[in-house]
Amino acid sequence: MRAAVPLLVYATLLATAVPRLLVGVSWADRAPRLAICLWQALSVSVLAATGLAGLALAVPTAKISGDIAELLRACVMSLRASYATPGGAVVAGAGLTLTTVLMLRVGSCAVAGLVRAGRARRAHAAKLAILARPAPGLDAVVIPHPAAAAYCLPGRARQVVLTTTALETLSVDQLHAVLAHERAHLTGRHHLVVAGADAFARAFPTVPLFTAARAELARLVELAADDAASRQHERLSVAAALVALAGGGSPDTGLAAGGPTALGRVRRLLQPARPLGTARTMLGAVLVAAVLVTPVAVAAGPILAVTHALYCPLTLPVS
Amino acid sequence: MRGLGDLEAVVMDRLWSAPGPLTVRAVYEQLREQRQIAYTTVMTVMDNLHRKGWLHRALAGRAYRYEPTRSREMHSAEVMSEALADSVDRAATLMHFVEQMSPEEAQLLRDVLARAGRASGSLDASGETSVGGAV
Repeated sequence: MRAAVPLLVYATLLATAVPRLLVGVSWADRAPRLAICLWQALSVSVLAATGLAGLALAVPTAKISGDIAELLRACVMSLRASYATPGGAVVAGAGLTLTTVLMLRVGSCAVAGLVRAGRARRAHAAKLAILARPAPGLDAVVIPHPAAAAYCLPGRARQVVLTTTALETLSVDQLHAVLAHERAHLTGRHHLVVAGADAFARAFPTVPLFTAARAELARLVELAADDAASRQHERLSVAAALVALAGGGSPDTGLAAGGPTALGRVRRLLQPARPLGTARTMLGAVLVAAVLVTPVAVAAGPILAVTHALYCPLTLPVS
Repeated sequence: MRGLGDLEAVVMDRLWSAPGPLTVRAVYEQLREQRQIAYTTVMTVMDNLHRKGWLHRALAGRAYRYEPTRSREMHSAEVMSEALADSVDRAATLMHFVEQMSPEEAQLLRDVLARAGRASGSLDASGETSVGGAV
């Protein structure tokens, strides 16, 4: 019970304040991979804090000692004690329900999302198998189409797909930059990053952190792939390829309101790379670790306090 | 499974380039010139393609004649509009190099690139420091 309140306060603060603090910070564009880790850690941390708060409500920690046998006994005792008082049982039940619902909700959204995406990918790959041909000398397939486009299909049938028009539009440098970008998506398993964020946002669409994380992660994986491509090729080639393919859409396909991302990417690629530096990267890594450890530490706090106070298990009420 | 998938592509290629509907026998005769293949395999593949909606068939005499339901271009257009349709739902399915955008937005990108090209041309002598300083 003592840990539940700080855990819920922590989760609420993170869930509401972080999007305002973190969306659009300049260091994220300089270290997209670090920013990806931080957004993921924050999402997991909010979920863990809330889940642990539910458990903390269910198990009154005051009666727990360090010893496992005592812990189990205390568990039984506290359950008994809880059920003796109606209020305790209700709170404990609510806590357990909260945790269970949270985990089931996120879990089912994640599974449903992966199944849905996997099915769509297999259907798409089956059509590509008939319509697309391997591009000679390139690790990609080509599909005849008047729009200049490039994309990758992750998963078991992983492949990079180019349209014939993209192949005609891009210079050799640009083409290899595009392929490097798409390969970075595939090897980095970026679709799982996106799918994970999507599961959180679908499970709890009203939590600002989760919707912000989904949008930011979708953008950051593109930046990370741009960086991977520009490690092997000229930054200008990546930028020029973006510009060449951005105008390649055919009018019959729906236009997405995603232009600003492409504009940001082009502007970023036109400047020299500005990596964050070791010290600040380390600081970021520490922050990620802290975000992940905090819920567990807060939840375990009362247990530690009890053991440090040399709490004597013999004083437990014995029935 | 993989082998049959490849054969599906080969068979569809034959039918797309054929002037009219073909029987299983005709496709089999064509394929046999290039690879060792069983008649029943071709029959299975064409039956699968019919079941999946790629081929249309009609009885002519005692044998079915098969023809593509749609042209290769129409199929490609459909698959690509499916792939290019941008939605959050699709983000985990496939990842685009760049999202689709309006012609105005695309023009803006071209302008930014062109300006940078001119700028880097004039900055070549002074080097990176001036670019870094502008950041």
